[in-house]
Amino acid sequence: MSPQPKSSGDKSPFNWRSLFASFRPRREGTMPAGMILVVIVLAFCVAGLLDADSTLRKSNAKGDGIRNEIAKTVASVTDALHINFFRNSIDDALGKNQGTEIDVEELLRQQAEAETAAAAEAAKKVPELTAPTPAEPMKIWVGGDSITQTFGTSFQRITQSTGIFTPTLDYHVSTGLSRPDYFNWPEHLVKNVLPANPAILVIMFGANDGQNMVDANNKVLERYSEPWMTEYRRRVAATMDLLKSPDNQRITIWCGPPPMGPGTKTHGMDQLNYIYWSEAQTRPWIQYFDTWPFFSDSNGVFAANLPNADGVVRGMRQKDNVHLSTVGGDRLSWAVIDRIGKLVNLSAGNVTPPPTQGPPPSVVERTEIPPNMPGAE
Amino acid sequence: MPRRIERAAVVSAVALLAEIVAVDVLSSSHPGNPSMLFPTIDFAVFFLVVFTGSWLLRPHKIAWRWFILAASCVFYGWWDWNYLMLLFLSIGINWFLGLAVFRTLTPEGGRTNASRWLVRIAVVVNLGILGYFKYFDFFVSTITEKMHSIGISVDAPILNIVLPIGISFFTFQAISYVIDIGRGQWRKPLTLLDFAVYLSFFAHLVAGPIVRASEFAPQLDEEPDPRYVRSAESFMLIFRGMFKKVVISSFLATQIVDPVFANPNAYGPLAVLMAIYAYAIQIYADFSGYTDIAIGIALLLGIRFPQNFDSPYIALTLQDFWNRWHMTLSRWLRDYLYIPLGGNRGSKAMMYRNLFLVMIIGGLWHGANWTFVVWGAIHGSYLVAERIVREKWKGHELGLPPLLVKAMQWFLVFNVVCLAWVFFRATSVDEAFTLLGRLFASHGSTAGVSMLLLVVIAASIASQFVPTRFPQKAEVWFATWAPALQIAALAAGLVMVDALGPEGIAPFIYFQF
Repeated sequence: MSPQPKSSGDKSPFNWRSLFASFRPRREGTMPAGMILVVIVLAFCVAGLLDADSTLRKSNAKGDGIRNEIAKTVASVTDALHINFFRNSIDDALGKNQGTEIDVEELLRQQAEAETAAAAEAAKKVPELTAPTPAEPMKIWVGGDSITQTFGTSFQRITQSTGIFTPTLDYHVSTGLSRPDYFNWPEHLVKNVLPANPAILVIMFGANDGQNMVDANNKVLERYSEPWMTEYRRRVAATMDLLKSPDNQRITIWCGPPPMGPGTKTHGMDQLNYIYWSEAQTRPWIQYFDTWPFFSDSNGVFAANLPNADGVVRGMRQKDNVHLSTVGGDRLSWAVIDRIGKLVNLSAGNVTPPPTQGPPPSVVERTEIPPNMPGAE
Repeated sequence: MPRRIERAAVVSAVALLAEIVAVDVLSSSHPGNPSMLFPTIDFAVFFLVVFTGSWLLRPHKIAWRWFILAASCVFYGWWDWNYLMLLFLSIGINWFLGLAVFRTLTPEGGRTNASRWLVRIAVVVNLGILGYFKYFDFFVSTITEKMHSIGISVDAPILNIVLPIGISFFTFQAISYVIDIGRGQWRKPLTLLDFAVYLSFFAHLVAGPIVRASEFAPQLDEEPDPRYVRSAESFMLIFRGMFKKVVISSFLATQIVDPVFANPNAYGPLAVLMAIYAYAIQIYADFSGYTDIAIGIALLLGIRFPQNFDSPYIALTLQDFWNRWHMTLSRWLRDYLYIPLGGNRGSKAMMYRNLFLVMIIGGLWHGANWTFVVWGAIHGSYLVAERIVREKWKGHELGLPPLLVKAMQWFLVFNVVCLAWVFFRATSVDEAFTLLGRLFASHGSTAGVSMLLLVVIAASIASQFVPTRFPQKAEVWFATWAPALQIAALAAGLVMVDALGPEGIAPFIYFQF
């Protein structure tokens, strides 16, 4: 016998069987507040169980303490009961969160084993690349997170206009080195970028990396804590090592992120810059490029509007005070090309920036990056 | 001449606002970073507590008010506790001015010189606070640049002011309250507690709808029956809002809008056109999605907000568009700006001037940038042109099938709205023109243009033509489902939204205004 339908005017105590009977509200479209509470709580619980893996990923990235512990517990329960099948099937169908197929440490070990003594010796010097010409242009790859979207598009257009480069742009929004579960940059570089054999890579990360990380032991590391810094440094170093070419014929221009403006939650960029810069010091094939002075005032503080070489002040950033404007992308592109010109002979191409696009000559990279700059952002 | 002083007050405030922004040449909105966005677990937990507490305390009117006020403070303070002080300041000043205005009215509710001056002060103070947070830095930096350009070195302070979320919304609500009292429309000012609950109520605090005290306050004294909560409508509104915001808006933003607007020179005509249409859908999905959630949440607490969107992209005239888009802002501008400026009274030229001016001010409300002025100017010009054409062509027939005429009208209005959105979205007027120029480029990337994108844009536009009776019938039907089935449907919906959305959720576009 089916349970009697419960109407909205019924004041009888709550009965679990009423959850399964069709509902006959006395007033169309209504439900008692108590039943609504039950519906909402149970819907959240069911959704929480079905979505446990996704919640854990997000919690690992930004959560802390008790919330992360709860997320872990729920995820382990759903994993054991295979309740996460529903959500994971959707993810599979959408091609999301596919995980990684490579072991960076193993790859580096193989790389080290295969490296000859001569190659190891050669790698102690900055690679000497053949000067590009219009007849034999240089393959150059630019990639990174969403900041690279504007910068990279400018860079692609400008390098193309020089006549001596064949550029490739490859940015992925919301990515970095903190969340390989979301996008695995080392894997992408090894599988998709390096096989094309670009002579120069221009790479920028960091803006999305200020979030918690999970280390190899599945331990959540609070962002910018000492263990976090250690783990991040390890990832940076490993990525840099992956970019070394066996014949020392590849240079990577590793661009640190610029300062972020007020009203954004992206901060600590110069702490990351210190890691990039210091790791690059021992790797001649990695050339750290300091974007900071190109997007800050004379005090090293974020500036949305800055003069280019022609003295005209222009907006360098988008409204969010994070991403570069087209003008900012152009400015950085010419600065990076100038830096490449110090490593490779670019005289065969048109690499002189128009004053309307290039930075003033007075703006130069810092000679060294301080370990941190409190109050700089 | 009872309206003369009030009109002067509004005009002087508008002039002040215009003066502040007249020298602005660069964009400077500082988007806030609300931590407790609606589609988050944090908010879900917060709401469950508030929902339970609210219905338990509803019979105890004073306790309920304090509870809601506390909840709203937590909600706003979650973003930045410091700005709670600003909210309290706005509450205190406007409540006091409202009371002072009321006491200076005649016993019959008529205006006096004192009441008019107090209304003027209230408008100027509110716009002053708004102007400081929204326009100060750019006012200073623009003046500094101008001085530099004529050889005078000025070391003016740039304060890097962060725009408190929702300030434009609660400021407009506060202004409407004081002006309504000054007009004698409120015969009994709210108590400080009621006014605080009204201005800070978390569901409309950060991005509207702009609810008037006359709509909100009477509901404070009502005691809604907890047995008859409009659950189906609320659930539908909340789910629809989440889908629009998390799935549609985020997809369009990352797929084509952000890349193309960030670097239009890289893209060809097809991608640029799709980006423009996609932005029209994105901003609608984002803003109306937020409003849907806000209305649904308030409804679950027994509070009914006014409708804010009514399928705006089906409009056949721009006037009709404004009757359907951000309806609470439209009527605010009508009642507190257009009518005091003279409205339809007076000559046609004055009416056109009023229309145009209101749209310019509406543009400036969104931020200190010439892009918003151009956006307002496009709407204002078209509204004026529409009226002129309508009058000139009155009684004339084109001789075309009515359906075709309607289709042409729709196409024209939709594209004018999209054209205006280009300026709304662009960082600068130059960038907007660059993007529009790419519509005529002979080459360029088509990256981002996909069948899925076209389907999403087309389906989003088509969905606006669905008669409202269909979703209403669906709501009634949903309400008859067994609660267990409702639970399953809601849970599946939440998982789908999460799976289809991106990792992380960008703040709502309208939080920054």
